[in-house]
Amino acid sequence: MSRTVLERLERLPKRDLTVLALKGIGTLVPGGWHNITSADALIADVMGSSDPELIRQVRARADLLSGARHEGYGRALSLYDAVNRSQHATGGLRILSNVGAGIPLLKRMAKLTPASETLQAVDLSLKVGAELLAFTQVNGLPGDSFGDFSASLADYAGEARVRMAALICFDALLPLGDQALQKLDGLLGKASAGDLRRLPSYGQMAGMIPGRGDGAHLSFLRRGVESWAGWAGGFISSLGLTGQKAVRALEGTLGPWAGGMQGLGTFLDAFTDTYSHTGVQAVARRLVERAAAEI
Amino acid sequence: MSRALRWGLASLVAVALLVGALVVLPFSSWLPGGTVADVPTAEVVNGSAFNRLFPAPEAGQELVFTQEKRGFSEARLKQGSAALALLAISDTATAPEARSKFAGSGSAIEGWPLVEQGGQASALLVADRFQVKVIGQGNGLDPDQRHALLEAFDLKGLAALLPAKTARERKALPAGQQQPVRLPVGTRQTLEEPAA
Repeated sequence: MSRTVLERLERLPKRDLTVLALKGIGTLVPGGWHNITSADALIADVMGSSDPELIRQVRARADLLSGARHEGYGRALSLYDAVNRSQHATGGLRILSNVGAGIPLLKRMAKLTPASETLQAVDLSLKVGAELLAFTQVNGLPGDSFGDFSASLADYAGEARVRMAALICFDALLPLGDQALQKLDGLLGKASAGDLRRLPSYGQMAGMIPGRGDGAHLSFLRRGVESWAGWAGGFISSLGLTGQKAVRALEGTLGPWAGGMQGLGTFLDAFTDTYSHTGVQAVARRLVERAAAEI
Repeated sequence: MSRALRWGLASLVAVALLVGALVVLPFSSWLPGGTVADVPTAEVVNGSAFNRLFPAPEAGQELVFTQEKRGFSEARLKQGSAALALLAISDTATAPEARSKFAGSGSAIEGWPLVEQGGQASALLVADRFQVKVIGQGNGLDPDQRHALLEAFDLKGLAALLPAKTARERKALPAGQQQPVRLPVGTRQTLEEPAA
């Protein structure tokens, strides 16, 4: 049942809502975004050679590595999958609460769904937490000093520019507004362990988050978001990202959108897989870089 | 429930577990996970031992470590925001087949066999155990530049990682448990090549 990382890469959609949304965000980032779904092309790009025998060797090594549990590549993918499921569920809950608020009979149900901003903030913190955990799974703790490690993180963030831009636009700016990062800490402060448990991905991630108990996990996530928000603030101002800009970029690929910014964020959360899509591509690249060096 | 019945049930469960374990045992290799090539992690040199052996970057360049796992360490050589090359050291204990390509090597750096893989990759096998590789990225590097990078690694330090380690391995593992291909050290080839 478990597929190798490269098989997952080749099964990624070539053209669907997810790809169009990412293409839209790609227009905001210098260098743009390319939807890499061919393992052979990725290997040829890393090796700088299209010799079929070399590509075959790299591929065989990469499949061996992604099957080995201790190497962490497969574990990183399961983190991304868990978060992706949670994103769908949160999007669904928010659609339900929006629809429910408008229909008298369903008003009681709307009260059952949690306040959507808090839920969104918790969802974002889980994604950032998953990103940190996946980084250590895929890359280990590279270098001998803290300086090496943070340089490595910065380098990773540079590579994953579109991925981070998508995270910031879809999960922070669209649903929470342009002041999202400033609001984030306050919203997380209000979140309770119950809000955390409501997210299905939490159950799957809980074992991999350091600390024992929901309270400890929540404070780990808050600290993760705090350190991430510093970097994200610089990223937002260097690219001049705003919710409006994101909406316009998305309209360029998805077509006109009549609803509000929040509605677009909810819609994309419920119906696209941007996070796991770019996640598979990022892990596949690191895996191929390693396999190429080991053959 | 009588005392005898309880004991009987307990021993039945114990026997069932034992038999179950024995039946499943031969299938352990089918279970997911384990290290690459099923080498015990203690036999593989940890990636953190490789970090200090990487070349120091020249002025204007930057060396960013990207991956560090057991038996593997990789760094990216950058100039500004452009990647020039991937530099990596790996322990071939987990990939013995990688050593075979060096048999046809015609050239050497500091006595260790050198092999080109495609147009952008150069590999060096140190002490018949550690593979050092430079892969040109982006616009690419010409072979001389790659060889200069390979030479800039601390190759003596890398070769020195070997003896202490193997001595420990020999002590730690009884002869019956070792797999024939896992330990390449001490073959005649290894001893001759550095001298040549």
